[in-house]
Amino acid sequence: MITDIIRVTGEHMLIVAIAVGVAIIAGIPLGIYCTRNPRAGRVALRIIDAIQTIPSLALFGFLIPVPFIGGIGMRTAIVALILYSLLPIVRNTFVGIRGVDPVVRDAGVALGLTSRQLLFDVELPLAMPSIVAGIRIATVIGIGVATIAAAVGGGGLGTFIFRGVAMVDTRLILAGALPAAALALIADVVLSAVERRVIKG
Amino acid sequence: MKRFVVAAVLLAACSQKQPIVVGSKNFTESVILGEMVAQKLESAGCTVDRKLNMGGTFVCDSAMTSGALDTYAEYSGTALEAILKQPKADVAKEYAKRGLHWGPPLGFNNTFAMIVRRDDANRLALHSISDLAKVAATFQPGFGYEFVERPDGWNGLLHAYGVAFAKPPKTMDLGLTYKALASNEVDLIAGNSTDGLIESLGLIALNDDRHYFPRYDAAIVYRNDIDKKCRGASKALESLRGRFDDAAMRRLNFEVDGRKRDVAAVVKDALGR
Repeated sequence: MITDIIRVTGEHMLIVAIAVGVAIIAGIPLGIYCTRNPRAGRVALRIIDAIQTIPSLALFGFLIPVPFIGGIGMRTAIVALILYSLLPIVRNTFVGIRGVDPVVRDAGVALGLTSRQLLFDVELPLAMPSIVAGIRIATVIGIGVATIAAAVGGGGLGTFIFRGVAMVDTRLILAGALPAAALALIADVVLSAVERRVIKG
Repeated sequence: MKRFVVAAVLLAACSQKQPIVVGSKNFTESVILGEMVAQKLESAGCTVDRKLNMGGTFVCDSAMTSGALDTYAEYSGTALEAILKQPKADVAKEYAKRGLHWGPPLGFNNTFAMIVRRDDANRLALHSISDLAKVAATFQPGFGYEFVERPDGWNGLLHAYGVAFAKPPKTMDLGLTYKALASNEVDLIAGNSTDGLIESLGLIALNDDRHYFPRYDAAIVYRNDIDKKCRGASKALESLRGRFDDAAMRRLNFEVDGRKRDVAAVVKDALGR
């Protein structure tokens, strides 16, 4: 039992790590793009908002027949979790950069910074607290949401929860729910420390 | 004036005629059967009060014994296992002791079913669960959590049929199993023998040749006093005996669940035929 819990906790962390990692790699550039092209950006943000409203089971239903990214197993769960994690990261990147004081930006322009320098030397550093907050939200929520991976044969702590619900066995449900809650708390503490450091820095 | 009094008395007499209360459980097939019973009684001239979608087995059964409900459709396996808790008893006899009549069976058996794709079944000559021995080395099973966990689920089936599968089953949400089978992600799932999707997705249910799963024959249960509320009620219900086999019930379920048609219209078509 204990070794099982450790194994599925590992699966769970893997699912969240890959999903949030991909969401960061895709989400931050997407957020930047949205600030540069307001019209297309609004559409992109709408779509990302809309994805949040799709129930996970419906999303799995769409993904199962899709080649390469779909099927029954961890891959489908990760794809769904990436989609759900995009919102806080993209939106916080967008809001963080938009929130940069125009005076500061104008000063940069006046100093002759290229738009690339402006982005990397002025806007991104100033937006960093907001971006890290988005990553933190995505991670903590992702740890909870990743329990649905078990619905599509993806493993993780949800396996215990689903088995427990099927068998009306509270101990099994807790064997999945308690480690998930602990993971979420640990992730929250670690990432809030990162966030503080970023704000100070 | 006199005519008015007569009319008033007649009206009063009519409105005092007690309606027959028809119930159903809270899933599509049960609602269809409740509507079927209701329409049949109405065509026999009875007044009907529909209490469809009431809840689970125990809600319906306690409403029946207390008299709040006059009739609904129940499954023999559910009656024996869940209500009477005497798996080996004679349903009709036990129901008679409780003042209820275990009425005409409708003709279908909504039990668990092992389901495969039709093209696999044709190619590999799979007709019954015993035939799964031929594909035990290659087939990927996929089930909901309950079927894997319950002793009278997958493990019991393997034991009863004396087969061992090379691949452990993939477990997933029950609602996704049909999609997984249709998308070739798994090759064998467990469902219910009257699921409308079996028909619409081109699947077949394997014959349970060793009678591993208990029978769940649908039958209309009614209170013994139903004919007092409306003469000819029991006779009308009797005419539904054996009218719908597994495939017919699957089609009705598909009309409602798959094609999103109105239950009353689907039942009207089915009874009209």
